[in-house]
Amino acid sequence: MPMKGRFPIRRTLQYLQQGEVEFKSAVRVMTVNYNRHGPLSEGARQFVFFTVPQLQFRNPRVQIVMFKNFTPSPFLRFYLGDGKQVLVDIEDKTNKEITEHIKKLFGKSTETLEREKQMKNDVLHPATFGPKKYHLRKCVCEIEGQVPCPGKVPLPKEMTGKYKATTASE
Amino acid sequence: MLPALRRCWAAVRPGPFPAAVLVPARGRKTRHDPPAKSKAERVKVPPPVDPAELLVVQERYRQYYSIVRALRSVFRVEAAQKKRERLNNAREESEIDEVLLAWNDAENERQRRRREERIRGEEEELKKQKLQGAINQAKLMEDFMKEKEKEVLQLQEEAQTFITPENLDERIEQCLDNPQNYNFAIDKEQRIVRRTALS
Repeated sequence: MPMKGRFPIRRTLQYLQQGEVEFKSAVRVMTVNYNRHGPLSEGARQFVFFTVPQLQFRNPRVQIVMFKNFTPSPFLRFYLGDGKQVLVDIEDKTNKEITEHIKKLFGKSTETLEREKQMKNDVLHPATFGPKKYHLRKCVCEIEGQVPCPGKVPLPKEMTGKYKATTASE
Repeated sequence: MLPALRRCWAAVRPGPFPAAVLVPARGRKTRHDPPAKSKAERVKVPPPVDPAELLVVQERYRQYYSIVRALRSVFRVEAAQKKRERLNNAREESEIDEVLLAWNDAENERQRRRREERIRGEEEELKKQKLQGAINQAKLMEDFMKEKEKEVLQLQEEAQTFITPENLDERIEQCLDNPQNYNFAIDKEQRIVRRTALS
């Protein structure tokens, strides 16, 4: 069967790509402590069920660990690259509130995201040749004033290799 | 192939310059072999150059190279600027804002106060409930005691009419003197009839 689990929409690419939060590169590990029962952990449970897959998809380099029923109140703990730890209390908060909080705290701003997207599309070096995905031009024959592509327009006989070889041998 | 064959026969056929038609065998002599005796007086002269053409060509090349050098330096500056910008952006976005961390601490503090208040409220609620329970329990006990007292008093009153060994004879005399007739008849209309005579 194609559908697996209670909310199989969480497994779709479209849903995962809709995640808004992309962590800054300083964030290395995120730990979620929550409880299976209790009204105060409801928001945390929803967060883990619906939002964490989106987070992990957008941040494949961040390790996200879940701890169930360890502590009486739910919280998030972020471990940064310089060894610092940041605690976020999520007791009695909804899924949306938690997402907004961590987006404000550790998320990259929209300008940064747009700039990164644009930079990805930008060609790194304008002088190199290669696949169109990474370079401006595939071959020098695309440039005006250069010899056109022999695949489209046959070269004059004098410039072909075989003519040159025959004249050199004679 | 045919030109090669023709060359082979050219050595045999008498031609105007047979030696000139011989194919120079490049690589026949290594660099350590001495040059041929015929080349002993050879003086290597550079190819002839037309001075006017040379001047023109040099001038053109000079202009071309200066333009290319200028362009290259412009591009280099541009590329360096882009790289610096990218590095700056990377540094900016990787830094965690201290202000935001302070804000997070404030939020945690607020949550802590809310939690403490909630716990305090719950404790008070529990205490109140316990007190209420104790009051209810005491009331129940009180009612029970009252009931029991009433029963005891009633029993005391009834005890006065009990038959004891002291007034046994008296009571027997009384019963014999006052015969009670418990016989009665009743019909479906609930009419009670006491007609049976005691014998």
